[in-house]
Amino acid sequence: MQFRLEKRQEPSKFMAYATPVAAVALTMIIGAIIFSLIGYDGVGAVREIFLTPLTNSYKWQDLGVKAAPLIIIGVGLSIAYRANVWNIGAEGQYIVGGLCATGIALLTWGMTGWWILPLMMLAGMAGGMAYASIPALLRTKLKVNEILTSLMLTYASVQLIYFLIRGPWKDPMGIGFPQTRLFSEAARLPTIIPGTIVHLGVPIAVLVAIIAWFIMSKSVFGYRMRVVGAAPHAARYGGFSENKTIWLAMLVSGGLAGLAGMLEIAGPFQRMVPGFPTNYGFTAIIVAFLGRLNPLGVIVAGVVLAITFVGGEVAQTTIGLPNAATGIFQAMMLFFLLAGDILIKYRVRRVMPQTSTEVA
Amino acid sequence: MTLSRRTMIKIGGAAVALPLLGSTAFGQAEKLKIGFIYVGSINDNGYNYAHNQGRIFVQDQLGDAVETVYVENVPEGPDCERVLRELAQQGCKLIFATSFGFGDSVIKVAAQFPDVAFEHATGYMPAANVGLYNARFYEGRAVCGTIAGHMSKTGKAGYIGSFPIPEVVMGINALALSGRRVNPNFTVKPVYISTWNDPAKEADAARAMIDQGIDIVAQHTDGPAALQVAAERGIIGGFGQGADMSAFAPDTQLTAIIDNWGPHYLASAKAVIDGTWVPGNTWEGLKEEVVEMGPYNAKVPADVVADAEKVRTGQIDGSFHIFTGPIKDNTGVERVAAGVVMTDGELLSMDWYVEGVEQPA
Repeated sequence: MQFRLEKRQEPSKFMAYATPVAAVALTMIIGAIIFSLIGYDGVGAVREIFLTPLTNSYKWQDLGVKAAPLIIIGVGLSIAYRANVWNIGAEGQYIVGGLCATGIALLTWGMTGWWILPLMMLAGMAGGMAYASIPALLRTKLKVNEILTSLMLTYASVQLIYFLIRGPWKDPMGIGFPQTRLFSEAARLPTIIPGTIVHLGVPIAVLVAIIAWFIMSKSVFGYRMRVVGAAPHAARYGGFSENKTIWLAMLVSGGLAGLAGMLEIAGPFQRMVPGFPTNYGFTAIIVAFLGRLNPLGVIVAGVVLAITFVGGEVAQTTIGLPNAATGIFQAMMLFFLLAGDILIKYRVRRVMPQTSTEVA
Repeated sequence: MTLSRRTMIKIGGAAVALPLLGSTAFGQAEKLKIGFIYVGSINDNGYNYAHNQGRIFVQDQLGDAVETVYVENVPEGPDCERVLRELAQQGCKLIFATSFGFGDSVIKVAAQFPDVAFEHATGYMPAANVGLYNARFYEGRAVCGTIAGHMSKTGKAGYIGSFPIPEVVMGINALALSGRRVNPNFTVKPVYISTWNDPAKEADAARAMIDQGIDIVAQHTDGPAALQVAAERGIIGGFGQGADMSAFAPDTQLTAIIDNWGPHYLASAKAVIDGTWVPGNTWEGLKEEVVEMGPYNAKVPADVVADAEKVRTGQIDGSFHIFTGPIKDNTGVERVAAGVVMTDGELLSMDWYVEGVEQPA
C-alpha cells in the first residue's frame, strides 16, 4: 500500500487560518509529551514557555521589545514571499542597517538635535536596501538564485561588524573590547512608557504592519505582488515585469530589515557590539509564515515567537529546562505549520500498488 | 478573570508590576536565592562548566539555606538585561554574571534593583551593589608556557583568543614570556574569533594555524574544540582551559588551567546571608586555589614537569612573577625596566604584546 499527494481543487479558506493556531496547539501538546518522556515536567514546560510571559504583567515589556524587530522584518519578508522572492538574508540587511545607523550616531556623537534619530532611520533603511540590492542585481542580471546569495551575504555582514568595531569604530574607553562608544542621548530611542524598557520601536512596528497591510490589500503595488506570486504567467501576460517585482520585493524587505536594525541599535543596544546579530532576521522567517504572509497576522506571530523566547528563559530558571528547548519548540511550530500547509493544498490518497511484486 | 485582567491592562503594566516587586523585596528571612548567568552552555566542558561547578559547590555546601538557579547561553547584549531582570524579579538576592560582555547590562539592571547583590566576573565597572571578581588565569598560562617552550619543536605556538581585551592579551603575553624563558626563539601567533564559544570557529582557527607550522595550541575560548583538532592532526599538544579537558584529547592535553570558582561563590553567599556583603574586587590565583593546574600528561618529560612545577610553586609562594622586567613589546621598545614587576592596574589595562608575539590582524 502506498500514499500519494493529490492537489486539491479548492484549498479551504478556513483551514488556511486555522493551521497556524493548530500548529501552535500541536506544538504545545507534542512538546509536553516529548519533554515528559525525557524526564522534565512537560506540562510545566509548556505552561512556563507559553503562558507565564502572558500572565505575568512584568513580562509584557519584554514581549513588546522582543517582538518589535521580528514584526518589522517579518512584514517585509511576508511581502517578498508573497511575490515568490525568497529573501533569506534579512539578518544581513538588518546588520547593515544597524551599522549604517551606528555610522550616523558616531558622526553626530556629542551633538544634540531632533534630526539625528530620523537621519539614523533613513540611513538604516538605505543600508538594508543597498545590501538587499546585491542579490536582486545578481538575480535579475545573472539569474543567480537569491536564496543562496542573500544567505551568504549575511555572513559577510557579520565580518563587516568585526572589522569596524575592532578598527575604525573602536571605543576609546572600552579597554580593548571590540565595541563602539555608547551613543549620545540624541541617538538613543526614547522609552515611551516611563519606568519600562518599551521604546519607540514598539509602536513603530505595529504602525509598519498596519501600513503594509493597507498597501498590500488596497494598492496596485500590493496587487502586483500577490498576482506575481500566485500566478506568474498571468502576471507576465498582464504586463507586470518579473524583474521589477524582484527589485521591489528585495528593496522593501531589505529596507524594513534595515529599519529594524536601526531601531534595535538605537533602542536596546545603544552601541555596536559583537553580539548585535541575534538571528532576528532568521526567526522572522518563521514569523512571516506563521502570520500567513499577512502583515496583520505577522503582528500576532511576532508576539507568539517573542513569548517562546521570553518563556524559554523563564523555564530555564523555574524548572531547569535547557536553553535548547526554546529552539525545539520554535522549530516544531514551523514544522507543523508547513506540514499543515501541505495538507491544505494536497490531500493524501491511498494508492494500491499496481503490481504485487513491488518491493519498497 | 479575563475581564479583570483587561481592566488591569488599562490601569497600566507599571502599576501591576509594583506590588509584584514589593512582595519579593522583603523576603530576607526565607532562604537565599542565587542566580547565575552563563554566556555558553554548562556542557561546554570548559569555562561555563567551571562556573556551574562553582554553583553546585555552593548548593552542596549550604544545602537548604540556599536555592540556586542558572540561565545558560545568554547573549552579550540586551537579552542579558532581560535575563538579569527576570532573576532579580524571581527573588534572587545574589546574582553572578559570569562573562565580560554582560557589563553594560549588569550596571543597568543593578540600578533598578538596589537590594540585590550583583557580582560580575572579569569586568571592570563597579557600582554600589555591583562587585567584581576575577582569577589570575595568567599564572596558569605561565605554567603552560613553560611546558610549551620546552616541548615545541617548531618553536611556534598558536593562541585562539575571543576578543583583544586585557584579560586575553595578558594570557597571550604570559604564555610568550614563559616560553621564551626556556627557548628564546619561541613565538606565539594569536587569532581572534570574536566569540567565546563557537566550536566550529575554534576548530577552523586551530587548523589554519597548524597549517602554518604551530605545534602547540592554546585557547582563551570556552570549549575543547581546539584540543580535539590538535589531537586529530597529531601536533605536540595543547592545554585545557577552564576545566580538565583530558577526556576529549587524552594524549594531547599537556595540562589544563582549571577555574575553581566554588570557594568565592560560597564566601559571597555566606556574606549575603550574614548581611555583611559589600561589593568587592577580588583577583585571586594559584595561591588561593581559584586557579589550579590539571594533571601533567605522561608524555611531558620529567625535567619539564619539574620546571613547570617550579613556576607553579614560585607563583604560590610569591618568589616568581611572570610579568617581571625587563619586558620588551613586539616592536622592540622596552616597556618594563629590569627587576620591576608590573602592577595589577597595569596588567588590567594591558593592550600591547610582548616580544615574540606576532601582531594579530
